[in-house]
Amino acid sequence: MKRRNFVQNLLLAPVAPAVAAATQAPSSQTTPHQKPATEPKTPVRERRWGPHDVPKLDLTGVDLTGQPAPHYFTAAQFATLRKLGALLVPPLKNNPGALDAQAPEFLDFLISASPDDRQNLYRFGLDSLDSQSRDQFQKPFCDLDAHQADRILRPLLVVRPWSEDFPSDPLKKFIAQVHDDLRTATMNSREWAAASEKSGRHFTRGFRGSGYYWFPIDPINQG
Amino acid sequence: MPVKTYDVLIVGSGHSGGMAANILTSKGISCLMLNAGPEADYEKDRALKHAYELPYRGFDKPGRLPHVFQANEFNANQWVDEKEVPYTCPSDAPYNWVRVRLLGGRSLFWARQSFRLSNLEFKAAEIDGTGDSWPISLEDLAPFYSRVEQIFRVTGRKEGWPQFPDGDFVEITYPPDTDSIKRFTEIANKQGVGVSKWRSALGKDGLASSINLLLPDALATGKLDIVENAIVREISVDKNTGLANGAHFVDRHSGREMHVKTRVVVLAAGCLESTRLLLNSKIGNSSGVMGHYLVDQMYGVSVVASVPEARDGKASPGLMGGNAFIPRFRNLNKNDKRNFIKGYCVGIGSGSSASPNFFPLYGEELQAKLDSYANSCVSGSIFGERVARYENHVRIDSEVTDRWGIPVLHIEARDSDNERNLCKDAADTIEEWFHEAGWEIICKTDRVNPPGYSIHEVGTCRMGDDPKKSVLNKWCQSHDVKNIFVVDGASFVTCGWQNPTMTILSLSMRASEYLAEQMRTNAV
Repeated sequence: MKRRNFVQNLLLAPVAPAVAAATQAPSSQTTPHQKPATEPKTPVRERRWGPHDVPKLDLTGVDLTGQPAPHYFTAAQFATLRKLGALLVPPLKNNPGALDAQAPEFLDFLISASPDDRQNLYRFGLDSLDSQSRDQFQKPFCDLDAHQADRILRPLLVVRPWSEDFPSDPLKKFIAQVHDDLRTATMNSREWAAASEKSGRHFTRGFRGSGYYWFPIDPINQG
Repeated sequence: MPVKTYDVLIVGSGHSGGMAANILTSKGISCLMLNAGPEADYEKDRALKHAYELPYRGFDKPGRLPHVFQANEFNANQWVDEKEVPYTCPSDAPYNWVRVRLLGGRSLFWARQSFRLSNLEFKAAEIDGTGDSWPISLEDLAPFYSRVEQIFRVTGRKEGWPQFPDGDFVEITYPPDTDSIKRFTEIANKQGVGVSKWRSALGKDGLASSINLLLPDALATGKLDIVENAIVREISVDKNTGLANGAHFVDRHSGREMHVKTRVVVLAAGCLESTRLLLNSKIGNSSGVMGHYLVDQMYGVSVVASVPEARDGKASPGLMGGNAFIPRFRNLNKNDKRNFIKGYCVGIGSGSSASPNFFPLYGEELQAKLDSYANSCVSGSIFGERVARYENHVRIDSEVTDRWGIPVLHIEARDSDNERNLCKDAADTIEEWFHEAGWEIICKTDRVNPPGYSIHEVGTCRMGDDPKKSVLNKWCQSHDVKNIFVVDGASFVTCGWQNPTMTILSLSMRASEYLAEQMRTNAV
């Protein structure tokens, strides 16, 4: 059976027993000596939802209803990540920056759900930056001014011909990875899309951070 | 209920399976096509979305498809789930097996680059002085290439170069080259390197798939039934004749085991799945070479330059934009002595912007650089030919099974110095061209993505005249089991630098016509 036929049958399946129950109900509640005041009308079949009548309700995106609750990184690690967001992806050209887009908060969630190697890279990278900052400037990375932070970050930046090319040095690799992730999380955010639309770009295919999303195509393939 | 009977079982529904169904049904032969995955509904199964509407903001669920670099959260559900159908490889030799099991297979999503192999590839041993040649030549396949090109409506510019055989192209008018492309062409020509245009299948309504170009006609004959979500577990064999007599398959959802009887089995599941099925069925491998000579093309070598006069908003339409294509130009004859055999093509694109990862900068400084270099870039990247080597192979990993208990493949493929030398030559050559053009080199790499990345894997059931050294004969027919044909890329002897789709389609067409004639005369 084609899947679409199967789905249609599922939607129709409850209708038959329910209709039967509805038509039987009056007879069970009427005793034989009670004469109805008026001639019973032909029972009106109660309308049931057909597959095309189910209303489409307006739902609200989760990002509009609550604030993310970061939980994965330690307070010190998260402060370093926020500092990186402010430095690497600041608000420019009327676009939101990483902090406006809550990119660090999103990455806290993403990394918490990631395989071990990605988690280890992030924890190592955030701890290393903080440690280097304390050694070099006697304060945490999140408290550095832009000039001080640049003295740590600049030697760690590398040219990468492809986005998937990462340097072997773990700290340089972390900086490349977190830079990519902060940019993507920012440019794929609701805030970025709103800013783009405000500047006159309309939501079509090719609009930054958009595309044709393929739903899970059958029940097994849920990822 | 009476069960229908079929002459031919076709496993797989991509380009090769679609072509087999198209040809065989046109000859009045009844076919059953089993496809391992479901039919996609383009209206129902996809929707235009913002990345922020997706659960992982466009990143996709971490760790879901570690070997599919092409995957993102938008398209993640197209690909075969690596947990559902895993494979194994050595920890020091990753292999990117990129699979689609939807009806139509990878024909739904291919890049539509459409080339013929030349006799440099068919007769490779003669030019390379090593390795093997195909048992067929370009002349054998040319009539089939022509018919395929007409069905797929291939565009291209005829050049008359032996290493880049012309085809039956749809004539189109190319826009005039921009000044940057003219400049590049001039430099390459000065070195005796021919510059052409990409050759691409127009298909129909933007799709060049088996599901719109091949299967509708086959279904219209009334001779084809297609079953979705039917995973073939094993080919069954008649103990008395040694011939295949059908296949055991399992329903993807319920796990219900089924068997179908047919006179002939045509494998078109993609080279590695077809080989996996044969290996799991323990047939057709008297030569011992089944699974060996796995090969695909090298992607990743790239050079990007910026045209200085196009920077800071001056990338005019007359200066930037357009593309060029250089077919293989290395080792065209025996006198071209280099530290590698084989060759590569180069694709040139003009008018792109720089990627943020090109610059060791961040924040405002990075943005200023990106703004300055916007639309000023010219990029050159290659498709390089790997050497088909015995040691690059697949075998059954009996300790790991897929969701249905079918043993999976172990894939082992490594590059050699030949590949590394070829890639270094390519990166150095493109850099030299760009440098001579007066452009600023922004980045250069001769690093190659892991084998499999090109999604052009071929081989593992190579064809040949000698049954002791090959799995299939020149008609894609098993030497050992005469009623089994493998019509996907498994029969390839060399991979060339070319996108293999036109060759796969032509081989499938040729094999299917041969099969139809063999069936008519009861030779099969």
